[in-house]
Amino acid sequence: MGALDFLEFLEKVDIFKGFDKKQLEAVKKRGQEKKYLYADRLFAEGENADRIWLVIDGKVDLRFDLPGRPTSEENTVFSITAAETLGWSSFVPPFKYALSAYSATKSCKILQISKDHLLECFEKDPRMGLIFMTNVAAIASRHMDQLQKSATVSPVAKVKITVHMSTCGIAAGARQVMSALVDEIARSDRPDVEVASSGCIGHCKNEPNVTVEIGSDEPVVYQKMTPDKIRQVFKEHIQGGKVQKEYVLNHF
Amino acid sequence: MISLDFLENVEAFVDLNDDQLTAIQGCCEIAEFKRGEEIFAAGEIPEYFWIVQSGQVNLTWDAPESPTLRDTITTLSEGKPFGWSSLVPPYRYHLSAHCASRSCKTVRIARDRLLQLFEKDAQLGYKVMSKVMMVVGQRFHELQDEVARRRGHDIINRW
Repeated sequence: MGALDFLEFLEKVDIFKGFDKKQLEAVKKRGQEKKYLYADRLFAEGENADRIWLVIDGKVDLRFDLPGRPTSEENTVFSITAAETLGWSSFVPPFKYALSAYSATKSCKILQISKDHLLECFEKDPRMGLIFMTNVAAIASRHMDQLQKSATVSPVAKVKITVHMSTCGIAAGARQVMSALVDEIARSDRPDVEVASSGCIGHCKNEPNVTVEIGSDEPVVYQKMTPDKIRQVFKEHIQGGKVQKEYVLNHF
Repeated sequence: MISLDFLENVEAFVDLNDDQLTAIQGCCEIAEFKRGEEIFAAGEIPEYFWIVQSGQVNLTWDAPESPTLRDTITTLSEGKPFGWSSLVPPYRYHLSAHCASRSCKTVRIARDRLLQLFEKDAQLGYKVMSKVMMVVGQRFHELQDEVARRRGHDIINRW
């Protein structure tokens, strides 16, 4: 990229919004361009975060990788495109990447800038640091919005299991039921299963209650669940399609 | 009046010199709440940046599927700042804040006055925003944990 194009690009980058020409010039001195091919990993969750990554072109997915499994697009939390930035973990303890980043297009071009270089610039010009930190916080704020939305929407979920975790449910063992359920899901490799928690459904004597909704079938409410019973429900009902009638509280 | 001793121990102000702390001190007001009272609600446009002076404050995330279900993301005690969204576009609280002890005293600083101080003294602004960024990161990680719990994917608690 030519020097002029480079400045024009930096002007558009979210993290440098509000920088003047002189401040952009200072930043670009240490920028390093890199190219990645589809599915290449830019960085992994848990690695030391010591730089920021600006997408020049292409798309980068930020994903949570599940231990022992290959990376999957289904686990993408955010996607970052041209003139957007990755790596704000560099400015937040414990200074480790919180997610893994993968090239999501045939190729993508990245500009890396080291955190140390940026901090040197900010020491000399605190106004630059103020603008930068505000922009970084705004990006984190945007990610937080996306994160909150991602908690309520599961794009691939066909099965919804709700554990009713009211005070009465928790006292009756709902947390242990939730824990056993999560364990079963993790082992089963079923990304189409969404788990939710909600309040009491008015059957306190029969808690813990668990509601299973599969596609457009009628919801099934199970009563007096225990870790063993929920494991049975998961295997026989969710995976095998057989409602476990002996535990059913009611059909709506 | 809020003492400089208190302010210099607030996470967001630890690197400030006495002149800068005095400038902040001039913008502080006390606001008291009783147990369960709402300090602000998620989605509101923030007018203040807050600090717990005494007592405890819960930051909660209301479940969209059930308005009565409220999960506590974190509980803050003396000296802890909250309401960072007041200083960061798009200026909207992500979480709700409630008094979590019998009573709590908070120090609140009008967003406009704080931003004016940043404008006047960029070094003060840079120092405060660098620390605020750490609070943002902490909150983000707490929220990630909660999202993992809500999605039932305990396995991704290692984010």
